[in-house]
Amino acid sequence: MTQITYIEASGQSTTVDLPDGWNLMQGAIVNGVEGILGECGGSCACATCHCYVDEARLGDLPPASASELDMLENVAAERRANSRLACQLKASPALAGLILNLPAIQE
Amino acid sequence: MTDFHFDPYSPAVDADPFPYYQRLRDEFPCFWSEEAQMWILSRYQDIVSAGQDWQTYSSASGNLMTELPGRAGSTLGSSDPPKHDRLRGLIQHAFMKRNLMALEEPIRAVAQEVFGQLKGAREFDFKDVSAQFTVKVLMAALGLPMGDEAIVDEKIVRENAVLMVQSDARTRAKGPEHIAAFNWMKDYAAQVIALRRAEPRNDLISNFALAEIDGDRLDDNEVLLTTTTLIMAGVESLGRIIMMFAYNQAPPDQARQAVVHNPALLPDAIEESLRFNTSAQRFRRRLMKDVELHGQTMKEGDFVCLAYGSGNRDERQYPNPDVYDISRKPRGHLGFGGGVHACLGTAIARLAVKIAFEEFHLVVPQYRRVADQLPWMPSSTFRSPLVLQLTTAA
Repeated sequence: MTQITYIEASGQSTTVDLPDGWNLMQGAIVNGVEGILGECGGSCACATCHCYVDEARLGDLPPASASELDMLENVAAERRANSRLACQLKASPALAGLILNLPAIQE
Repeated sequence: MTDFHFDPYSPAVDADPFPYYQRLRDEFPCFWSEEAQMWILSRYQDIVSAGQDWQTYSSASGNLMTELPGRAGSTLGSSDPPKHDRLRGLIQHAFMKRNLMALEEPIRAVAQEVFGQLKGAREFDFKDVSAQFTVKVLMAALGLPMGDEAIVDEKIVRENAVLMVQSDARTRAKGPEHIAAFNWMKDYAAQVIALRRAEPRNDLISNFALAEIDGDRLDDNEVLLTTTTLIMAGVESLGRIIMMFAYNQAPPDQARQAVVHNPALLPDAIEESLRFNTSAQRFRRRLMKDVELHGQTMKEGDFVCLAYGSGNRDERQYPNPDVYDISRKPRGHLGFGGGVHACLGTAIARLAVKIAFEEFHLVVPQYRRVADQLPWMPSSTFRSPLVLQLTTAA
């Protein structure tokens, strides 16, 4: 299990334990975090699980694939240097304690 | 030892898989089906985990419970990353929600034309209208030749798409008629591809047929089989989602009338229908390494069935799962699968079903199922009634 914290644009914070291997979009959806939509079901095809990763932890994440970078061009909120798609990040010990800030809009 | 069996080829499972799913989840969450010769995973959490772990649960040996010849490895659904991502990267933009806005008007025109035929009807088979609607929508969305340009009657496209996904209940394999339908569809796709290569247009198949990634063009077989699958998935999957939504809405209860009176409830009702009882029931993966689960050891090379239809009824995830509750908002449901292989067409399916029922309800505001027992399609993968007779009588 890996602990992940989601902070919605409203300030609402939710900390959950996710089974390793689960992607962070699915983890948000299953635990009732509202700020992530994940309309495509996690196949990197809709850009509605946009999140901002804690800057200090960027180095702990695997780099974005070409398809994720491509899809990040379609996010509804401002794209920043720490923008990622939550469906492309998988829970693992390296991500323990990671904080994701969620944008106010996803579509 | 147990006398419990789960045979995804049996007509009893076609007709009502849910009692079997309940026992699987509660007593046999990692179950070896002798009849299917594969493991069955039935709990929400296990299915989600497997769906995300494509390195272990591979699709490259095919994703349909009963696979079609030569298909595995060459389509989106039956390949793993990185090949999967390469194929998908070519077409997914076309299926993004915001890129579908241009289709809204044509889809509504099709819906008005097709469902308009029901004006004054007292009793009808919903399949006839849903099939017409689906094929026309899909032809418009994919850019298949229509009208004066059509190379075959759309009815023939429809019939072959229906047949190619079925399997023989007795032999548990694809029969000659199913293979023939698949081959027909491949020939049809080949003709369309040739047409679009000769005179490209701004449509999905033209773009796909001519696409290059890093100077590397897709090989002909990939173009052909992926196009064939898009047609099959489109005609069949969308058609069945619509059928199952009509089926779920048809018993005379509050849910249906509420949706008719307030079309704004349609999107939530569609999501609940996708969770409660939909067409994509079971898909398959193959293990790339041994996996221990619930006290069982599944061996490398074994096939594993992900029973999405069961995960959607798992009370560990959804309280009162056997109740069709349109106010539920079942986030994370498995009606479109999940993980890297989650359905590519979610946005167009949601849009098309919503428009279809907005228009259908304007023409037929009151309807119910004529029969309780229905004939069900023989399929180890999908679930859908062959006939859905509806009456407008109170």
